[in-house]
Amino acid sequence: MLQQAIRPPEVMRSVYGPEPRKQRAADLPGMAALKVRDLFSDIVQEIYLHGGDLSVIRKATEEALSGVYMEKIRPDQTVDILGSEHGFSILGGNAYVEMLRAIQDAVRDRTGADVRLKVAAYIGHKETAEVIEHFRLKDSFDKIRSFGPWDKGVPIETEIGTLYGVARAYEADWFIHAYYDDPREMYFHRYVHRPLKAFVMSYARYETRAAYHFSFGTRSGQFLMRAIFDSPFVQEKHAFSCIMRSSPAGIVGVDADNDLYRIDHRIKKHHLRDFGKMHQLLAGLDECIAVWDGGRWGYYVHAGGVCFGVFMNSEYDPFDLSKPFCFSAFDLLVQNPFGETDTIFEPHHSIKAAVVNQAWPGIIITDLPKRVPTVVVGRDQAEMYLKDPTNPSFMDHAVTAETLEGAMNFARRVSGTDKVLVFDGSFGHLTLTPSLADDLVSKAPEVNRRVEEELLPMWLKQRGIDPEEA
Amino acid sequence: MKVVKFVSTVDPSKCNGDKLCERVCPTGAIRVVDKEARVNEERCVACSKCWDRCPSNAIEMVPRSDPVVLTTDPDTVDQDKILELCFKAKVLPGQLVCMCTGTLAKEVAAAILQGAKSFEDLSMKTGARSGCGIYCIGVIQRMFEAAGLKVTSPEDHRMYDMTLNMFDVPLEVQEKYPEYYLKQDTEILS
Repeated sequence: MLQQAIRPPEVMRSVYGPEPRKQRAADLPGMAALKVRDLFSDIVQEIYLHGGDLSVIRKATEEALSGVYMEKIRPDQTVDILGSEHGFSILGGNAYVEMLRAIQDAVRDRTGADVRLKVAAYIGHKETAEVIEHFRLKDSFDKIRSFGPWDKGVPIETEIGTLYGVARAYEADWFIHAYYDDPREMYFHRYVHRPLKAFVMSYARYETRAAYHFSFGTRSGQFLMRAIFDSPFVQEKHAFSCIMRSSPAGIVGVDADNDLYRIDHRIKKHHLRDFGKMHQLLAGLDECIAVWDGGRWGYYVHAGGVCFGVFMNSEYDPFDLSKPFCFSAFDLLVQNPFGETDTIFEPHHSIKAAVVNQAWPGIIITDLPKRVPTVVVGRDQAEMYLKDPTNPSFMDHAVTAETLEGAMNFARRVSGTDKVLVFDGSFGHLTLTPSLADDLVSKAPEVNRRVEEELLPMWLKQRGIDPEEA
Repeated sequence: MKVVKFVSTVDPSKCNGDKLCERVCPTGAIRVVDKEARVNEERCVACSKCWDRCPSNAIEMVPRSDPVVLTTDPDTVDQDKILELCFKAKVLPGQLVCMCTGTLAKEVAAAILQGAKSFEDLSMKTGARSGCGIYCIGVIQRMFEAAGLKVTSPEDHRMYDMTLNMFDVPLEVQEKYPEYYLKQDTEILS
């Protein structure tokens, strides 16, 4: 069942992160790979993993688009393909880029319209230029523009009032919502309408992002994305949606529809089951050393398709909608309204040490080094975390090691465990030590039973899906 | 509260005076004078937005010789007034407002009660908005509004009203969409 460790996806060079490390955690002696389908054999099988044949993505996109009605798009009209930030880091980003290319080609062929690519940034002004250069998007797209949450807003009148989108995202006659479905930040979106999240994030002004995250609860906040998407303004411009589908095993296909809620419904059944099993499995760990070794922000680096941020926050079951909150910042206040909280996300109790081989700073994560011995590899990277305005006290709590080996030795000594789980951007397998693999393999059957018999039916019912139908 | 350990510096040989840095600075610390960006170090909160925005790579964040502490002690302000302002804004006093700096609602309230009348003032008094500058803005707007202050961003900055929150959702909408737990979430945080 255990295999030799698999080389993870390449890391894109960026001003926002350290120089990509030549030595990856998977290169360390004793590291291994455990396939997710050896843990749960019914996880939907992949059609693509990093380094694979991109033509399967193109083919899947073309097949998905063949069922989409495009006749409303006239040749004299403009169509924007909206590309969101995290797609460019899923399995190295090439699958997402190929999907975007295939969408352009199909729409151009079938409609004759003026098709452009719009690339969204999360927060940094230099992000999109880096993506455009790294993926050589100008070779494939004649017209490309970037946008971010700081750009000019457009008021969107919704059922509950005015919310602000980024004007550039909605400036064409039509837009194509070209997105991905991997579950990230589930402590916020709770897997209620995963494929709609871009309407309160990628395509939204930062004031709208703020409202979604902290002016509504984590269940009630999902209404905002619906309110925006259902607004007349958005509906009259939405041509169709095309979603890159994933399971913990990898990219499993592409789904496209004029009705985004139909995609949402189709995604939910499989994701709740497949990702639910992986999440519950990792949530059942007692001890591990977590290693960040991937591209972009540490929260969003994958291990077996599971984001670190989701694992870190897995004291809670984010799928269970009977729980009002599933992260510490609100939960602590509900328990003690006149208390204080200095914790946003309490790290999962199993994380006994953390090693940052490489990850971008820039998203709030100081709870990790405050509560877990954390070692940053390389002075260059430590310098970045020292300067990071979103984590001004990160390096007050973390230490620095010159080498990855040194960092791992430190982590083993302070944690007392040799169970290592590496978040290196992988889907399809976990990069880990054999001792952790044994732990996971022994736990998987009971997790499988509990999800199939107890949790999945509950999760589905909470979302209005008949478990029998699923 | 924030301990500001870095400060923005400009390399004049690279600066082209395009003023993009001015538009992203949360405190007005960086200004272009005679086509050259200059930093008022007393007002720089090391948010790094100027560094990020500058297309000429003319800006660097360098360590301060003496870190600066930005904070307002809530204990120096009438506690009843803090509570009144917080509850009017529908926030809890111990609630995190600025996640990046760990600034609580009661510190923001104290700063407003002690005279902060603008977003820039608030940043100088608490460090709020010196991190991502994204997630805190809605609650901060609500707190200013609750204090009876109509604050706007500087002319060349963009900011839109986003005081909308779950307590604004009409009852008929809450009842129309039970699947979003609007009613329940509102009751829990009331």
